[in-house]
Amino acid sequence: MSSIGLELPLTIIATLGAALAVTSARRGAWIALIVTATAVALLEFQPTDTLPISLVLRLAAVFGAILVALPPGLLTPQALTHDLAPRRIVSTLAEHPVVVATALAGLLLGTIPLALPIEGSSTLLRSAGVALLLIGLPPLLTSRYVEATARAAVVTLSGALLLRAAILGPLDALSSIIIASGYAALLLTGTAVAGQLTKAEES
Amino acid sequence: MSEAQILLLLSALRALAPLALALVSLVAVPLIGSPRFGAPLAAATRARYLVVGLLLLSGGAGFVAGAGVTSTLSIGELTINPSQPGRLFVALGGPIFAIIVAVGQGRRAGAMGQVALFGLAVIDLALAIPVGLAPITLLLIGGTSLAALAAGGKEDAERARAVFRDLRSAGVLITLTVIAELLRASIPLSATDPAYATTSSLTAGVALALSLIVLASVGAFPFHHRLVRMFDALPIVGSLMVGVWIPAAITLIIFSELSLLIAAVNEPMGGAVLPILVATGAFTMLFGGVSALLHDDVGEVLGFFAVGSSGWLVLGLAAVITRPSTLAPHELVIPATLVISLFGVWRAAVRRRYDLVSLQELTGWARHTSAIGLVLVGVAVAMVALPGSAIWAARAEVIGASGSAITVVIALIGAVALFASIIRVILIGLAQKSHVVERTEVRRVTHPVTLAMLAGALLIAGAAAGIIDVESAASELLRPGIEATSPPAELP
Repeated sequence: MSSIGLELPLTIIATLGAALAVTSARRGAWIALIVTATAVALLEFQPTDTLPISLVLRLAAVFGAILVALPPGLLTPQALTHDLAPRRIVSTLAEHPVVVATALAGLLLGTIPLALPIEGSSTLLRSAGVALLLIGLPPLLTSRYVEATARAAVVTLSGALLLRAAILGPLDALSSIIIASGYAALLLTGTAVAGQLTKAEES
Repeated sequence: MSEAQILLLLSALRALAPLALALVSLVAVPLIGSPRFGAPLAAATRARYLVVGLLLLSGGAGFVAGAGVTSTLSIGELTINPSQPGRLFVALGGPIFAIIVAVGQGRRAGAMGQVALFGLAVIDLALAIPVGLAPITLLLIGGTSLAALAAGGKEDAERARAVFRDLRSAGVLITLTVIAELLRASIPLSATDPAYATTSSLTAGVALALSLIVLASVGAFPFHHRLVRMFDALPIVGSLMVGVWIPAAITLIIFSELSLLIAAVNEPMGGAVLPILVATGAFTMLFGGVSALLHDDVGEVLGFFAVGSSGWLVLGLAAVITRPSTLAPHELVIPATLVISLFGVWRAAVRRRYDLVSLQELTGWARHTSAIGLVLVGVAVAMVALPGSAIWAARAEVIGASGSAITVVIALIGAVALFASIIRVILIGLAQKSHVVERTEVRRVTHPVTLAMLAGALLIAGAAAGIIDVESAASELLRPGIEATSPPAELP
């Protein structure tokens, strides 16, 4: 995977998706999270000729968990067209200038070597990692909404894994399996708790 | 089947026995509840007997299979090598949770048994793989998932919020684990260029990140809120497993990791990690002890008691950093877990008998139900431990490693306050019986569940107090992880 060919667009997609995953309303946020998770997995595992099993596991875990967590009717073409309309994306981001500024600051900060032995690593990977960490952490620590917190946890963890991959490469098989199940557990637990909380507050 | 295949099967059974039994429960618990096995009304009772049996089997399997080369399973590059501490957790945890499930007799006893079975399996598995990113992450996600399982089945907002807090901390702590792994892996590379962060600062970074994981997991001050709410809202099996047993396993892993790290680094560690840990540990004991003394809700008393007890583990962290070769902090983990668990047995029994949460309403409970009173006496004995035992020596070494007289004084006051909180509950039990207590029906002492509770309490108290030697088995250092992945090609 060349830097100019794929890493740059994937970095932009991952950052944009992460920003939308923590700012959009429910359905749009899930779509943005799918996009982010895919872009991050591709950046982290860098598939060339063959598809690494760790990548397949990661995507299967995230997609499977999101499919369970999705509100009904999400995958209808009408809903997708509505949520992915550029005008809607721009207006969502315009409503959250702090998140956009954080994302941009993260991308810039990631280009600066942070006194770690990272000069040999991919600048774009590092940028995306720092950006995702900065986008995800504030809502992870402060959000009052369970599902939003679970999504923020996935974004933050993705950022940390990208930063790690920038220096040390992709995870080993065992860690990869455990992290994939971690993604699934965070999303599924978030959905279950949100449902339980809603029912408890209604009754 | 060839001899090699038979050996592989046997080592797989020995290595994965707790997990196999947990998986069996997924099929067996719903099956035993079906009408073909008896009346639907007795389904919960049948499920309870089943999970109690499975928990005892799991504990027995952990004890019999043990750790060692015959239990090591190798599948390709993956090696599952049960550790002594892991097997000890299973061998002790199986009977303890069996007693709690049997005593609690809840409607969801089957689900609670499954929480315990899977929790023990996750602990065993995590302690069987090399220390590093994978086992800590496995325990964190296992904890959150089990909290959700324990909270399920009841539309209770407090329970849901307790799991929400756990989810949030798991998200933060898994990220912190990745960052700690990143910094640890960077240490060998830091010597390649003077422009990089120094070895001592990177070591301090790893120590800080790992310490934060322990502080937040065990519920040390100021991260105590999650633990207290968990004990207040979740069923006792869930709160003990997620709030005490899994954090204890995380602590053991991090003790091992820090021991190996600090011993391997020649330069002194930078930063102020050590004084922060010492102060936090001592203050946590004081805060937990005083809060447990002042609260009235039984769940909160137990929660703050657990918070105060975690102060020993935080002081243990400081001791590991000061003296990486010492095994004293490792020896404190299991006894601390056992004392809180025995308090949990008491809470389950009181809850079952009286269905009250306020200590003011529970006056005279020990006079009315003396068997339950004996359990709490066991907690007090286990806390003090046998003078001159290995636990006293370990406590003295841990507290001495702090190197500060003020810390020693604060920690000792905290330990006295924790003990006083138990004595206070016993004294409330010996006071004039309240109307509710007076009216409560008493079960005869010769009832099998009561006898099992008393026998279990005796064994747990004996093990926690150092009369039965279990703590030394937990002091085995866990296997180190594979060294950092190869450095980037462009590095000089």
